[in-house]
Amino acid sequence: MRALWQVFALIWRDQRSALLRGATLSVVVLAMGAALLGLSGWFITAAAMAGLAGMGATFDVFRPSAMVRFLALGRAAARYGERLLTHDATLRALESLRLRVLRAHLAAPYDRMIRLRGAQALNRLTADIDALDGVPLRLVLPVLAGVLVLAGAAVVLWALVGPVVALWVTGGYALGSGVVFAVLGARAVPLSRRAEAATQTFRARLIDMIRARDDLVVYGYLSTQTDAVLRAEARSLTLQRQLDRAERLAGLALATLGALVSAGALGLGLWAVQADTLTPAFAALGFFAALALGETVFPLRRAIADLGRMADAARRVVQIDTGQRQSKNDTTPQAGALVLDRVSLTRAGSAAFVLRDLAFRLDPGQVVAVTGPSGTGKSTLLLAIAGLHPLASGQIRLGGVDLSDCTEATRRAAVTLLPQRSALMAGSMADALRLGTDADDATLWTVLDAVHLADMTRAKGGLGAQIGPRGAGLSGGEARRLTLARALLRRPHLLLLDEPTEGLDEATARRVLRGIRSFLPEAAILIAAHRRAEIDFADCVLDLTEVVNVAPVIDLDQRDSPTAPHNT
Amino acid sequence: MTRTARVTNHPPHASVFSPAQSGLRRAALFSVLSAALWPVQAALVATALAGAIVGDMVSPWVAVGAFAALGFARAVLTWWAEALAQNAAEAVTIAARYAIVQREAARAQDTALGGAGAIAALASEKLELLTPFLTRYALARARVSVLPILILTLAFWQSWAVGIILLVAGPLIPVFMALIGLAAKEASARQMTEIGTLNDLLVERLSALVDIRLLGAQDRVIAGFSAQAGALRERTMAVLRVAFLSSTVLELFAAIGVAMVAVYVGFSLLGAIGFGAWGGGLTPWAGLFLLLLAPDFFQPLRDLSAAWHDKAAADAVLDELAQYHAETVQTLPGAGAPALPLRGPASITLLGCVTPAGQPLPEITIAAGERVALIGPSGSGKTSALRLMAGLSLPEQGRVIVAGQPLVADNADAWRARLGWMPQAVHMLTGSLRHNVTLGRAGDLDQSLRGASVAHIVAALPQGTATPLGETGGGLSGGEARRITLARALHGMPDVILADEPTADLDAATARLVSNALLAQAARGATVVVATHDPALAARMDRIIDLGARE
Repeated sequence: MRALWQVFALIWRDQRSALLRGATLSVVVLAMGAALLGLSGWFITAAAMAGLAGMGATFDVFRPSAMVRFLALGRAAARYGERLLTHDATLRALESLRLRVLRAHLAAPYDRMIRLRGAQALNRLTADIDALDGVPLRLVLPVLAGVLVLAGAAVVLWALVGPVVALWVTGGYALGSGVVFAVLGARAVPLSRRAEAATQTFRARLIDMIRARDDLVVYGYLSTQTDAVLRAEARSLTLQRQLDRAERLAGLALATLGALVSAGALGLGLWAVQADTLTPAFAALGFFAALALGETVFPLRRAIADLGRMADAARRVVQIDTGQRQSKNDTTPQAGALVLDRVSLTRAGSAAFVLRDLAFRLDPGQVVAVTGPSGTGKSTLLLAIAGLHPLASGQIRLGGVDLSDCTEATRRAAVTLLPQRSALMAGSMADALRLGTDADDATLWTVLDAVHLADMTRAKGGLGAQIGPRGAGLSGGEARRLTLARALLRRPHLLLLDEPTEGLDEATARRVLRGIRSFLPEAAILIAAHRRAEIDFADCVLDLTEVVNVAPVIDLDQRDSPTAPHNT
Repeated sequence: MTRTARVTNHPPHASVFSPAQSGLRRAALFSVLSAALWPVQAALVATALAGAIVGDMVSPWVAVGAFAALGFARAVLTWWAEALAQNAAEAVTIAARYAIVQREAARAQDTALGGAGAIAALASEKLELLTPFLTRYALARARVSVLPILILTLAFWQSWAVGIILLVAGPLIPVFMALIGLAAKEASARQMTEIGTLNDLLVERLSALVDIRLLGAQDRVIAGFSAQAGALRERTMAVLRVAFLSSTVLELFAAIGVAMVAVYVGFSLLGAIGFGAWGGGLTPWAGLFLLLLAPDFFQPLRDLSAAWHDKAAADAVLDELAQYHAETVQTLPGAGAPALPLRGPASITLLGCVTPAGQPLPEITIAAGERVALIGPSGSGKTSALRLMAGLSLPEQGRVIVAGQPLVADNADAWRARLGWMPQAVHMLTGSLRHNVTLGRAGDLDQSLRGASVAHIVAALPQGTATPLGETGGGLSGGEARRITLARALHGMPDVILADEPTADLDAATARLVSNALLAQAARGATVVVATHDPALAARMDRIIDLGARE
C-alpha cells in the first residue's frame, strides 16, 4: 500500500496542475449532480404546494427553473471537461512513469539490463505500468472528489435541511464506504496478487509448451506439461473467481448503503415535516440530494477491484532502483595505452574465476585480437573493460587513469563497446547513427562508407531511409554494420568489438575491418575474435586458453606485449 | 490408411458464446427485474412526499422500511445478475482457453499467426476482454430493450404530455446510437493504438538498454522518448476530445429531455398548464413520480454507451479467435505421453517421403548402431527428415519404417520413448536445470551432464543443478545451453539420437566436445543421425547422405 502512495506521490510531483484541474472538475460534476437533483425535488414539491395553495401565480418559477437548466447543461459541460482533464492528467502521469522506468533501467547494473531482454519481463513491466493508470483515475481522484463533495454537502444540507439529515447523509456515506473499502479492499489485495502470479505462471507454462513442443513430445513430457498449463489456469481461475466475488460484494454493499442512506434521508425529512420543523419541499431536497450523493461512493467498487493489481504493480515499479552510482573522484581518461594489471574476473553471480591475473598492454593505433573457445571469458573481459562487469581484483587503466575512478559519462566518452548482440530501434538511418553523437551528414556518409553500407543506404533512399522496429528491413549483416558504424561515430580512444564481423562474408568482413582502422586511425582496438579475418586484422593475438592455463605475468613496460606477436 | 489427420475446427462467434447462453438469459432477466423495481420505489417516494404536501402522511417508518427493502432487493438482484453473467463469461473463457491449450498441444507445427508470446497473449489477457462484454454490455443491452418501453408506458398512464415528450425523445435514440457508435469507435481505436504504441516505444528502448548505455545516449534517448510520448499524447487527446464530445452530446440530449419533463411538471402543478394529464391537471403524486422516472428512461442507453467499447474490444478478440481456429493444422502423431519403448532394432527407413514444401526426399535407410550425417543446403529437407524420423509428423506421401514396422500415430509415443533429440533452436523451460535435463525421466543426471561435458560448468553455478533456467537461459552461454540440450538427449541412454545442427554457432573446441559426446553414444551402440552444415562433424560419421544431391 505504501508503494501505491509512492506512485501517487511521483505522479503528483510531475503532474500537480493537471491533477488539480481534473480534481476540481470532478468535484464540480459531483456537486452539480447533487445540486441538480436536490433542486429539482425541491422545485417540484414547492410548485405542487404553491399550486394546491392557489399561489401558483405568485410562485417564482423562473429562477429555479433557470437554475435547473443551468445545472443540467453545466453538469454535462463540466463532465466533458472533467473527462478531458483527468484523461490528460493520466496520460501525462503514465508518460512520466514510463520515463522513470526507462531512466532507472538505463542506470541499472548490466545483469539486470540483460534480464529485461526477455519478452516476458518486458510484457510484465508494461502491463504493470498500464495497471497504474488507475491510480489517479480510479482511486485517488474519485476518493478525493467524493470526500470534498460530501464535506461541502454536509455544510449545505445543514443550512437548508438541518443538521440531522446533513450528518446522516454525509456521515453515512463517508463511514459506510470507508468500512466497505477497508474490509473488501483488505480481502481483494492479496487475492489479486495471487491471481496475477497464477496468470503469469499460466503464461510462462503455455509459452514453454509451445516453444519446446518438439522436445516435450520426444521425451513424452507433452501431456504432463499440458496438465501443468491447465492446472495453472484452474488456479488462476479460482483466484479470479474469488476476486470477482469480492468486487460484486463491494457493489452490493455500496448499493445497499445508497438505499439505506436515501431511505433514512426520506424518513428523517418526513418526521421533521410531521414535527412541523421542515417544509415538504426541503424534505424532498434532502432525499433527492441523498440519492444523488450515492455517486460519490459508487466508483469505489472499481477502486476496490483494481486495488490489489495496482498495489502489486506499484510495488514492482517503485522497487526499480533509480539510484545513480557515482564514483568519488571523476577523472577523464586521456588517449593512451590500455593497461590491464593482474585482472581477475568471476562469472556473474558466482565465485568461480573466468580469468585470473590477466595482464597486458594495448597502445593507441594497435589492434589486439582476444581468442579462445566460448566460455573462456572473451566477452566478459570486454564487458569488464567497458565497466559492465565487476573486477574481482586488479586494475584497468586507460592513458594512466584508473577506469574505476571515472563516472559513467567520462568512461563512455573514452571507451565504446560493440557487444555481441546489438539492438536497433525504429527510425531513419540517420536516427540510428546519431543515437550516440551529433555528427553531421558528411560524417555519417564517411562512416557508412567505412563499414561498406554507403551503397545500400543510397539504394534505400539516403539517410532518411526508414528502419522498422528492432531493425526490421535490414539483413543480419547490414544490422551488424550499422551498429558498428554507430559505435565508430563515438570516436573513442578505446574501441572494444565483440565478434564485429559476425554474419558478414569473408570479403566484406576484411573490407569493414580496414574501414574501421581508416575511420579511427588513433584508437586502440580490442577484438573478441572468432574468425580468421578478425585475427588476421590484429597486430597481436591474446589467446585466453593459454593465459588461463599458464597465467603468465606480462611485463607491462615492454612495448611489444601481449604474448607472442601474430605474423600475418 | 490415413496418414494425416487434419483438424479443422471453426467455431463461429455464436459457438464461442454457446456455453454462456442460458446463464446470460437468466442474468439479463435479473438485471431487468432490478431496474424495473425503480418505478416501484419511485411510486413509494412520490406517495410519501405527496402525502406530506397534501397533509395525508404515510408513516415515515413504512416509507423508510419499504424504500430500504426495495433498494436492498434491487442490489441483490443486480448482484445475482452479475454473478450469473460472470459465471457465464467464465464458462466462455474456460472453454476458449481450453480449446487453445489443447490445440497447441495437439498440433505438429507452429502456427503462422504469431509466436508463443502472441498465443499466450490471446489465451490470457485477450480472452479476458470477452468478460466485460458479456457481463456489462449484454446486460445493458437487455435493459435497453425493456426499460424505455416500460417507463414510456408508465408515463403515458399518468400524462400523455410527458409520454409525448419522451416519445419525441424516442426517435432521437437512433441519433444517440449513431453518436454512441462514433464515440465508441474513436475510443476503442484510441485504446488499441495509443497505449500499444507508447508501450512499443518503451519496449523497444528497454530492449536496447545495453546499446543505449554503451553509446552514452541515455539523455538523448530519454529526451527523444519524452518528445515522442508527448506528441502521442497530443494526438490521443485530439481523438479523445471528439469521443468525449459525442458522449457529452448524448448526455445533453438526456438532460434536455429530463428538463422538459421537469418544466412541464412544474408549470402543470402550478396550474399554468391545464392540459397533458388525463382528466385535468397533474396531481403532486404524478408529478413527483414522473420526475423520478424520466432520468431512467435515458439511463439504460447511457449504460450501453459506456459499455460500447467492450463490444468493440470483444469483436476484435472474436475475429482473432476465428482466424486462429480457421487455420488448418497437422495433428501431432501420438499423445506426447510416456510409453513403453517400441520393440525392434534401432533402425530407420524413409521411403518416398517429401518435405512440407513438396520437395522429394531420397530413400534413406539407417541400420541400428550406424552413424549418419545428413547434409545439404538450407531448405533441402534435413530438419524435415529428422522430424519424420522422430515421429513429430507423419509423411503426407511415402512411409517411415522404424524398428521394422511402419511409424503410425499409435506407435509414435512408443518409438519416441527410445529417442534422444537435440533441436536446432534451444528452448529452456521455466524450472531448474535438473528439470530441464530429466523432464520427469529416470536416469543418472550426473552421468548425463558428464556425457555432455557440461558437468564442471553446472558444478560452478552457484545453485548447481537447482539453478533456475528460463526464457533467457539463466546466465548460461549459447554453447553451454546447447550442451544442456545434449545432456537432455543423452539422459536415459536412448537407442537413437537425432541431432539437428548440434554444432551450429559453436567454436571449434566446443563443437569438438559435442561431437565427441555423440560419438561416445554411438560407441555404446546407439544409432546417431545428425543434420549438419559442419564438415568436421559430418566427416566423423560412418556415412554422409547429401540431401542436396539430386539424381
